[in-house]
Amino acid sequence: MLSFILWLPVIGAVVVSILPKSESARLRQITTIFAIATFITTILLLTQFDLSNSGWQFKEYLPWVKPIGLSYSLAVDGLSMPLLILNSLLTIIAIYSIGENVERPRLYYSLLLLINTGVTGALIAQNLLLFVIFYELELIPFYLMIAIWGGEKRGYAATKFLLYTAVSGLLILAAFLGIGFLNGAASFDYNIITTQGLSLKTQLILLTVLLIGFGIKIPLVPLHTWLPDAYTEASPAVTILLGGILAKLGTYGLIRFGLQLFPDVWSIVAPGLAVIGTISVLYGALSAIAQKDIKRMVAYSSIGHMGYILVAVAAGTRLSILGAVAQMIGHGLILALLFHLVGIVERKVGTRDLDVLNGLMNPIRGLPLTSALLITAGMASAGIPGLVGFVAEFIIFQGSFSTFPIPTLLCITASGLTAVYFVILLNRTCFGKLDNKQAYYPQVLRSETIPAFVLTVIIFFLGIQPNWLLRWIEPTTDLLAIDVAQTEQIATSLNIEHLHSVDRSN
Amino acid sequence: MNDFSQTIWLVPLYALLGAGLAIPWSPGIVRQTGPRPSGYLNILMTLIALIHSLFALKEIWHQPAKYLSFQWLQVTDLSISFDIEISVITVSALIVIAGLNLIAQIYAIGYMEMDWGWARFYSLLALFEAGISTLVLCNSLFFSYVVLEILTLGTYLLIGLWFNQSLVVTGARDAFLTKRVGDLILLMGVVALLPLAGTWNYVELAQWAANTTISPSVATLLCLALIAGPLGKCAQFPLHLWLDEAMEGPMPATILRNTIVVSTGAWVLIKLQPVLALSSVATNFMIVVGAVTALGASLIAIAQIDIKRSLSYSVSAYMGLVFIAVGTQQDATALKLLFTYAIAMSLLVTSVGGVVLNNITQNLTQYGGLWSRRPISGLCYLVGATSLVAFPPLGCFWTLTEMADNLWDTHPWLVGVLIIVNGLTAFSLTREFCLIFGGKPKPMTVRSPEGLWALVLPMTFLMGFALHVPILLSQWDLLPGWNELNLSVAIPLVVATLVGGSASAFIYLNEQIAKPIKLKPKAVQDFFAYDLYTEKFYRVTIVFVVGIISQLVYWCDRYLVDGIINFFGLATIFGGESLRYNTSGQTQFYFLSIVLGLGLFIAAICFPFIAQISF
Repeated sequence: MLSFILWLPVIGAVVVSILPKSESARLRQITTIFAIATFITTILLLTQFDLSNSGWQFKEYLPWVKPIGLSYSLAVDGLSMPLLILNSLLTIIAIYSIGENVERPRLYYSLLLLINTGVTGALIAQNLLLFVIFYELELIPFYLMIAIWGGEKRGYAATKFLLYTAVSGLLILAAFLGIGFLNGAASFDYNIITTQGLSLKTQLILLTVLLIGFGIKIPLVPLHTWLPDAYTEASPAVTILLGGILAKLGTYGLIRFGLQLFPDVWSIVAPGLAVIGTISVLYGALSAIAQKDIKRMVAYSSIGHMGYILVAVAAGTRLSILGAVAQMIGHGLILALLFHLVGIVERKVGTRDLDVLNGLMNPIRGLPLTSALLITAGMASAGIPGLVGFVAEFIIFQGSFSTFPIPTLLCITASGLTAVYFVILLNRTCFGKLDNKQAYYPQVLRSETIPAFVLTVIIFFLGIQPNWLLRWIEPTTDLLAIDVAQTEQIATSLNIEHLHSVDRSN
Repeated sequence: MNDFSQTIWLVPLYALLGAGLAIPWSPGIVRQTGPRPSGYLNILMTLIALIHSLFALKEIWHQPAKYLSFQWLQVTDLSISFDIEISVITVSALIVIAGLNLIAQIYAIGYMEMDWGWARFYSLLALFEAGISTLVLCNSLFFSYVVLEILTLGTYLLIGLWFNQSLVVTGARDAFLTKRVGDLILLMGVVALLPLAGTWNYVELAQWAANTTISPSVATLLCLALIAGPLGKCAQFPLHLWLDEAMEGPMPATILRNTIVVSTGAWVLIKLQPVLALSSVATNFMIVVGAVTALGASLIAIAQIDIKRSLSYSVSAYMGLVFIAVGTQQDATALKLLFTYAIAMSLLVTSVGGVVLNNITQNLTQYGGLWSRRPISGLCYLVGATSLVAFPPLGCFWTLTEMADNLWDTHPWLVGVLIIVNGLTAFSLTREFCLIFGGKPKPMTVRSPEGLWALVLPMTFLMGFALHVPILLSQWDLLPGWNELNLSVAIPLVVATLVGGSASAFIYLNEQIAKPIKLKPKAVQDFFAYDLYTEKFYRVTIVFVVGIISQLVYWCDRYLVDGIINFFGLATIFGGESLRYNTSGQTQFYFLSIVLGLGLFIAAICFPFIAQISF
């Protein structure tokens, strides 16, 4: 089943690329069919997902390159399952968030499907090397998509993106190899690999390398500068996938490999991480306020929102990790909606400049429906209750407060700043007076609004009934945090002594 | 048979259903019928809610409070349930809410006759009704916060209804942000309270507060955070400016905003009173804020030339009195004051609304001589004004006297505040009356008949209700007898009303005195006319600071963080990038990254050796 989900988009990509160069509408249909088939299979997987089992499910195993410890082994748990669904959903949305007549459609649609495979592979891989392969693999389609279908400065943005994320991949690879070789493990499978037995200092260094690697992907301040350029220059579809799901691989890795593989030293780095997270949150929000380009504003907002996740993961309580995963999903949905709508505005109005945009709520000449949805999306991102963003952020705040009270309070302050820039955005774009003589915008098509409606409904539904989101995640994250709780006690009593003794011996 | 009271949770859902049902009439979906059915549907829903609440009240009359609880979220060690309190007080509040909403909605038929935004307007009114009903019913601080936050968003959208006017846009923005500041500080309190108290249920919180031994400094911080939300909602200093700007919104929404929306904050405050009593700093803070707002706002009200703004400052002033009442542990009096105040204020707003509608101005100086043209509005205004101040035997006389009586022994100086605020409000309301209805007609008021039935009917109905408030209060045994009245506070209050009112009438009806009145020095008049320069204060402090910091951060981002990274080693690639964006540039890059990766890899592998050597 997992292999099917993994390879179905690849088959789709092959089909799309060998089809005759017919109209792009046809190619779009075929791509959609494959994407929907993948989505449905993922949903089927979800229906069979065993809630009482907090460990790995639907395991698949094939030995591959034994000498270097690489195996083709797949499985999902409560951490990857929701992300898997988000991934296949956003792929469908992304197909519809670019105009019908895209240039070089065969390449475009097959790359879109390949991205899906890359992300899926990284999420379900059960082997560190397999993870790295998929993690690196999706860079190529992303790079090409930014570089070919991007905006004005696409070359700069694409190279910068590739450069950063490739370094991220290499750092992660280095850390993984370090873990494997230093331990003398025969395989890089998740169930075999462990950091126990490594000295605390080694662990600390490996974890730092890993954190920098994933920190680029998330991204954390000051490793974030690829993000505003890449998000702004990429086409809306690519931005949705970049922000909606690719960035989540960073936080996924943070939990999966940072928290889970290094439980011993996590409590040592946690305070530092919380500070970096808080800085990211404030930095993202404040930079967003200063933006004049709505897409760039949303891009900076993403930096801020990902910072919450870091604070929550650093806190490491059961509640906060649950909130972190919920925030990944919630933020993925909201960001996708925002970028989709910003894309519509840009296509119809022809500008993203806050000083030019005005009065889109106008019911006759404006884009009233798009504006209404944009208000919903902005408010969801600002954490208004009743929408999924609030649930996730509230759980994060409540979960982290006991461990890191000051960072948590600063994060709450930052969510006030979030409201500031979204009000600026909404007031300038949706409110105000539309110049009736100038405003001859193309009509917004149904194929453009339906994806936005789907996302809005999900955002509302999960906001009002969050159990439907949290029930899948909870068993796994509970387990993760219990480990931390135990080791925290040990860490505080033993490990620090251990550290001291190491210091003294040197 | 307790069907109605057991299903009381349906009341907010009726309104929510109405809000949802109105959506098809928003632009672009249903065109044939025009937007009006959305309004009628919502009126029907509110009527159903009102009838349901009335029946429920009949069932639970003279019965103790009942509690219901619905599990909302249960994850790990966090369990959030939606608790409901069904008591005479909450259900009566539901009736007031549904009743005032019905009045505002019928009023809107007339007031918004020419408007194309019906669907949006009515669904937002319904959202407010649903939110406030939920707030009243719910017995959990968490959901109170949730509702307050949703109402903040509702305020933003409702004020922004006429979004193509620039003042509306800034008003909506300021209202949203000001309230959000309060809400988020409240959220901090909510988050911090759970680990301490272990519950958000108000009843359990009261028990916890009675037995807890938390340190005074923690209690103070916590209570101050909890006060911040209501502070913003009730438009108290220094978060009061939004209410003034909110007056750019449509009048039917103002009926709700000036009465029950601002009261939401007070309601939460009353519910939290046992917790707030933990900290004497917090209660004193409430009293001081309330007193300052009450005095300041009633002075500002006199200096306004916009009729709606003038009324809005009276709202802040009365909410200040509620703050004082809660700060001095007079919950019951505070609730009663809210009730009598809401009826009187809604009557004032409805009577002024019709005047604003057909004279196309809100400027008090352009009014005059309407008494002969609109006697019904004039009468309604008079009843509203006399109900709002201490004027026996109407509503607020009883509540203000009761409050003064309670304060007499503990905080005598607050009785003074009460008397002064009452006198100033009487002055301000009489001033408005004289400027609108007295004097000679001016160009704007020459043609000004009474409005459509939809405007007059709710207004006169409210007048009748306001006149009956004392009877109702005595029916409910909420009034002291005439002989139990504390005359030493009642007489000064009434005298203050009379002095304020007659002084104002003397000044503003007297043709000899030149209008507009000019105070000397002018600075004093400007100080109040420009709302104590609060807007300017905001602009040079918080707005300025956030603006500067965000520009600074962004500058650093562009030129320092990004700049350094571009500079270090990568400059060449990006430099060449622009010239020859092709494969060779990428090869170069891949080479660099591989070298980099290998270096790290080797470093990682050799770490044990390095560790031995270097450390």
